[in-house]
Amino acid sequence: MTNKSMLLSRRTFLRGTGLALALPWFETFAVGGPSPDETPKRFLSVYHPDGVGLPLKSDPAWKDWSWFPRGGEKNFELTKVLDVLEPLRSDITIYSGLSHPAARQVHGHSNADQYLTGAPIGGEGPYQNTISLDQVYAEHAGDFTRHSSLVMSTNGGVGGPRGAQTQSFNREGRPIPAMNKPKEIFDMLFVTSGKDAAARLARSKSALDLLLDNTRSLGRQLSSRDQETLKQYLDAVRDTELKLAKAQKWIDTPIPQVDTGNLHLDAEPKEAKLYFKTMYELIYLAFLSDSTRAATFQLGRENGEGPHDLLSLAVGFGGAHGLTHEVKKPDGWKNLGTYNRYQAEEFGRFAQRLKETPEPTGNGNMLDNTLAMHGSASSSFHLSRNYPIISAGGKNLGFTNGRYLKLGKGNEDNQAGAGIDTDAGWTAKVEVEELPLSKLFVTILQRLGVETDSFGGITGTLTGV
Amino acid sequence: MPHHIAATPPPGVGRHQLLFQVPGTVMLIWCVVAPFLNAPRPAKARSTRNPRRSSLPFGRRFASTYHRAQLLAKNEKQLMKTLKITLLLVLGSACTNLAADAQEAPVTLETAKEQGRIKSRFLKETKAATNATDAIPQANLEEFQKSVGPILKKSCLACHGPEKSEGRLRVDQLNPDLLTGPDVERWREVYNALSNSVMPPEDEPEYALADADRGNIVDWLSGELNKASLVRRNSKVHSSFRRLTKYEYNYALQDLLGLPYSLANKLPPETASEDGFKNSSELLQMSIMQFENYREIGLKALKRATVSGERPPAVTYIITMQDELNKAASVKDAKTFDKTEESYRNHKHQQHLFNRETGKGIPFSTGKWMPQAEAVAGQTPAVSPVVLVLPRSNELKLDLDRFLPDEGTMRVRIRAGRSTMNPDEYASLRLIFSAHTSNNANFSQVISERDVPVTAASDNLQWIEFDIPLSDIQRNPFRKLTTEFPRRDEFLHIHNVSNAPGSEERLNVLIDFIEISAPFYEQWPPKTHTDIFMASDNKGNEEIYGREVLNRFLRRAWRRPVTAQEVDPFMALFAKYRPGFATFEEAMVEVLATVLATPEFLYLTQRVTPDNTKSPASISELELASRLSVFLWSSIPDDELLNLAEQGKLRAPEVLAGQVKRMLADPRSRRFSQNFVEQWLCMDGLNNVTHVTDSSLKEAMQHEPIAFFDEVLRHNHSIMDFIHSDYAVVNERLAAHYGIPKVYGPDFRKVPIATETHRGGILTGAAILTMNSDGKDSHPLKRGVWMLKRILQDPPPPPPPNVPEVDLTDPKILQMTLKERIADHRNKAACASCHSRIDPWGIAFENYDALGVYRTQIKNQPVDATSVLFNRQTLAGMDGLKRYLLADRQDQLARAMVHKLTAYALGRPLAFGDRADIDSLTAQFRQRNDGLGDLIQLIISSNLFNSK
Repeated sequence: MTNKSMLLSRRTFLRGTGLALALPWFETFAVGGPSPDETPKRFLSVYHPDGVGLPLKSDPAWKDWSWFPRGGEKNFELTKVLDVLEPLRSDITIYSGLSHPAARQVHGHSNADQYLTGAPIGGEGPYQNTISLDQVYAEHAGDFTRHSSLVMSTNGGVGGPRGAQTQSFNREGRPIPAMNKPKEIFDMLFVTSGKDAAARLARSKSALDLLLDNTRSLGRQLSSRDQETLKQYLDAVRDTELKLAKAQKWIDTPIPQVDTGNLHLDAEPKEAKLYFKTMYELIYLAFLSDSTRAATFQLGRENGEGPHDLLSLAVGFGGAHGLTHEVKKPDGWKNLGTYNRYQAEEFGRFAQRLKETPEPTGNGNMLDNTLAMHGSASSSFHLSRNYPIISAGGKNLGFTNGRYLKLGKGNEDNQAGAGIDTDAGWTAKVEVEELPLSKLFVTILQRLGVETDSFGGITGTLTGV
Repeated sequence: MPHHIAATPPPGVGRHQLLFQVPGTVMLIWCVVAPFLNAPRPAKARSTRNPRRSSLPFGRRFASTYHRAQLLAKNEKQLMKTLKITLLLVLGSACTNLAADAQEAPVTLETAKEQGRIKSRFLKETKAATNATDAIPQANLEEFQKSVGPILKKSCLACHGPEKSEGRLRVDQLNPDLLTGPDVERWREVYNALSNSVMPPEDEPEYALADADRGNIVDWLSGELNKASLVRRNSKVHSSFRRLTKYEYNYALQDLLGLPYSLANKLPPETASEDGFKNSSELLQMSIMQFENYREIGLKALKRATVSGERPPAVTYIITMQDELNKAASVKDAKTFDKTEESYRNHKHQQHLFNRETGKGIPFSTGKWMPQAEAVAGQTPAVSPVVLVLPRSNELKLDLDRFLPDEGTMRVRIRAGRSTMNPDEYASLRLIFSAHTSNNANFSQVISERDVPVTAASDNLQWIEFDIPLSDIQRNPFRKLTTEFPRRDEFLHIHNVSNAPGSEERLNVLIDFIEISAPFYEQWPPKTHTDIFMASDNKGNEEIYGREVLNRFLRRAWRRPVTAQEVDPFMALFAKYRPGFATFEEAMVEVLATVLATPEFLYLTQRVTPDNTKSPASISELELASRLSVFLWSSIPDDELLNLAEQGKLRAPEVLAGQVKRMLADPRSRRFSQNFVEQWLCMDGLNNVTHVTDSSLKEAMQHEPIAFFDEVLRHNHSIMDFIHSDYAVVNERLAAHYGIPKVYGPDFRKVPIATETHRGGILTGAAILTMNSDGKDSHPLKRGVWMLKRILQDPPPPPPPNVPEVDLTDPKILQMTLKERIADHRNKAACASCHSRIDPWGIAFENYDALGVYRTQIKNQPVDATSVLFNRQTLAGMDGLKRYLLADRQDQLARAMVHKLTAYALGRPLAFGDRADIDSLTAQFRQRNDGLGDLIQLIISSNLFNSK
């Protein structure tokens, strides 16, 4: 077991720019984050583009292929889209009536960017995003693992403004590049040595030594009151030294050995099933080895024409995005539902694996200490409202599962915007009341141990969660 | 709803409280919120009440409405002394009392300015500057025993004595020795109450104070407070030792490295002090995050300033309209037209290519171009007869595919002219960059820093150049894909921003040639590089050359010469780094980055020196140079300042005055106007409102007070112009907003204004009025607080803890007019002490709506902008407010200005120990006719500015 004060992410040295420690760290070192003796709290968000199937009640497909469950909070009934999660019923919560207010009348294809940030990015013109949920948690807990966060997507990189291929955005609102090649992710997590990092670290140490001497000598020429002011600077340098010492410790700590039996490191998105499984397995291994406690994974991209739109090959369909446009064709709802069902199945498999793995600290199983979210920033066709969200796990964090939470008002049967297949849908007036998704994010952050009462400009938690 | 006082209170705030956002500080203003949200009803006489409360602070007591009618009648005489009133709309029955005097015309504001000046106490003081003598001051207790004490006893003791002690004040228990006694703060309140004629209350005739008696006390107190301040001068509570602010650090880095774009965006924003200042030493903290940001920003900036290796080849696009016309016209079914055709009348107002010799044309607005391998940038080809005709608000959209480099400067050269030359019309060019990567995944962004006016005639085209840092703008992240989707293209738009009217002969921009080249370098290596790695005979010897580089860099970064011993540790660091890098420069850049993280770069130092026996100790000439440049340039000194300081010549009065003049003439002094004005007036507030939807209006609003200040500064106008001026400083957009005719173009300039515009000075600036609104309507409370804090330097006290709830279910409250509701709230004892001081100032602004537009009616009701100050002074709208300030409060205004500017210049809050110096500065300032330029000179040559 490594000593708490000796832990620090090595991520800075993988991405860092020379002397500087690049990431927007808050002073977690000074105030103390989570203790490594405590069971790690983990967070995962999986994003899928293009929403889900939402037929009208009058449509024969409604019974089987409407994504949202039917019935009450506890006695809800899953349709064929989500019935693969039935075995995990007591470990999941399904939400309706949540969305980010600023996006409700913006085309759904623009909105993957803001799913975890809630930023008012709009549909055109200048673009500015804000920090994502996982990165707020990474600021809090990231210093205690080798990597502050694991950012993955099937397409990789950052994508374009309003066409994100990453779910993670830093404190300045800049996208954090997602990794999409299993081999590279594996190497980063379990193979890479820190040679460059060590050299940079050595340079930083020498620079700090110089700055300390220089500051002390200046201090001797100042009045005692001004010396007090300068002490803040001195403290900042000393804190940075401490951080470096911890970073050094990471470099010296052996990389964890993991069981690679379930990995297919050369899998590509077009080998959808293998690829899916491998990516989820990498997250699982990263959590198990406590290499990180925050992860995001984006499946495809919004409006995903092109070579990366192949995940639906897993269930025999050509282009995933096309499925949402073809719901009015024969078997249209069924086909879209079948693909969504497959996404839920993989997510369920991941949750099940966590559930079956005892927590290394002995505190229940890994799922109890992990909150895993699965969702999209649109429900029906291009409609950025009523996000279809599932969360799994988190029992030890305070989540009570086995529930279907209908939030907001006026859309209890999820018929607002149902059945649309034209752009008249997403531009339509907002008629029903939905709650800000950021309230759920505040709840999640608080249960992960982050002291905050607001996220993305929204204050307050979601009651009843 | 015409009278919205406040928007819905935020969660967690009581209904009666409003989170009042003053940029940088959040303060809770206790006020009524919800009751103002309903429709007004005509004013009517209300029942009287007596809200007196014993716990109100002395000098802030509010007289109840019970006394109001009598008071107004009694006040007539006093009012007429200072101003004559044509029309006085007073709430309630009292207004009839004044009707008889309503015929006489008031003095003009210009006359009020002159008359008010004569009243100045500072002009009467002939005594020498108080800080001239070194003698230890003594308290004048004799005068107190003889006259002051007995007068206080006679006029004040009844309410502030053993029987009653209103405001918890007992004049019989105040220690008359201000120099050593503990009651200076209380005496200061007494002084303020008496000198502003707030006490004794007008409605207590038996305690009235004769003018001579009042004068006696005020004179004595003024002298004693002054001495007390001098005694405390040496025990100042605030130091000017501080780190640079975010914006100062940014400018310092820009000036040091010669990089023209912002570098410090990553730093967190600064907190503003109570005064609104972001450079206040007490608030400029340092944290590990801040420190790490400095290191990262410094290294990044150095890497951008320096280069290595050969000049990188440039990607160059050349677009000639001649070629484009040839291409477009050669297409099958090309839609060409001819000048002689009837249809030309329609074509000529659309965007098109046009051959000025042949009269042939063709519509043209976009296309795709590739870089030309052999093209050489910077050529001047012969002017072509073929031009692009670009009408107002149109743009040429250039698809540049995916070949622009990741980094470096993109230079865009456009040869352009105007089709017509009417001086009232302008046209300018703006660059926009965009990409459309897939459906609904797009962006577009203005990348030119400002619109560049096209001024040349059509027969004499001019070159217009833009330099764009490619790594700083939003790029298409897919440009390097090997596949074609998402789309990889990047677009440059050349946009015509103009005010051209739609007449027959329109002003269009004509363009014959466009060249885009990146990375662009004026020279190789660039000047930013040779400024650090300068030419030297010792370049071959890394040890010697390294010292030369460091010597030069350290001197500029630390704003002082450095010794060889001080360079040693940096050379040692270089020696450690050198083996890890291929070149001398790369290793040295890492060392220089460390210099940029040293406290001497980041902080404004003031060293203790053994020969400092004088008290308070002077700063050194080098420290003076830094203080001066940070004050006027928000940055580090240049070589001229440093050289003078090094030679010990800077402080000589004529040299210093000359340098100040030079610095104010330098473009860098615009930073002073901008930063001071934005902080002084708390302009951040404008960023917190959402109801200004026209961005050009918002920009113009934002800039007006800065441009106005600049005008006053550069022409050494009186600071009384801030209260009222017979001119405005506006551009076309703002002039249209104000109804000032015949102002054309985006530039701000001074224009004379008529009385009917109801403008002049800064109080009626749209920015001030807009940010102090609730987004729908005016907000008298915010405006009142703003007046007190920003202009009068008389901030309202913190709110009391026991604020009563407003009864929202009371139908009477719901039926009241705005003014009635405010008055009703004010009459509640717990609210009165603050609101009687705040509200009247804000109500006088009522003729201006939430966007600062002048109005005479609110929902078919005449605007009632008349209010009564706590000292019974009536303010008849904005005109009345201005007249009163100019006639009776010039000293307060002048002192407030001196206070604000000095606090900003010193970068620290002012304390009681500074009072004597501020008074002395104000006296000199007033004697020099209140010129803003003079004030800057006075502050810089003052003891305060030259002391630690």
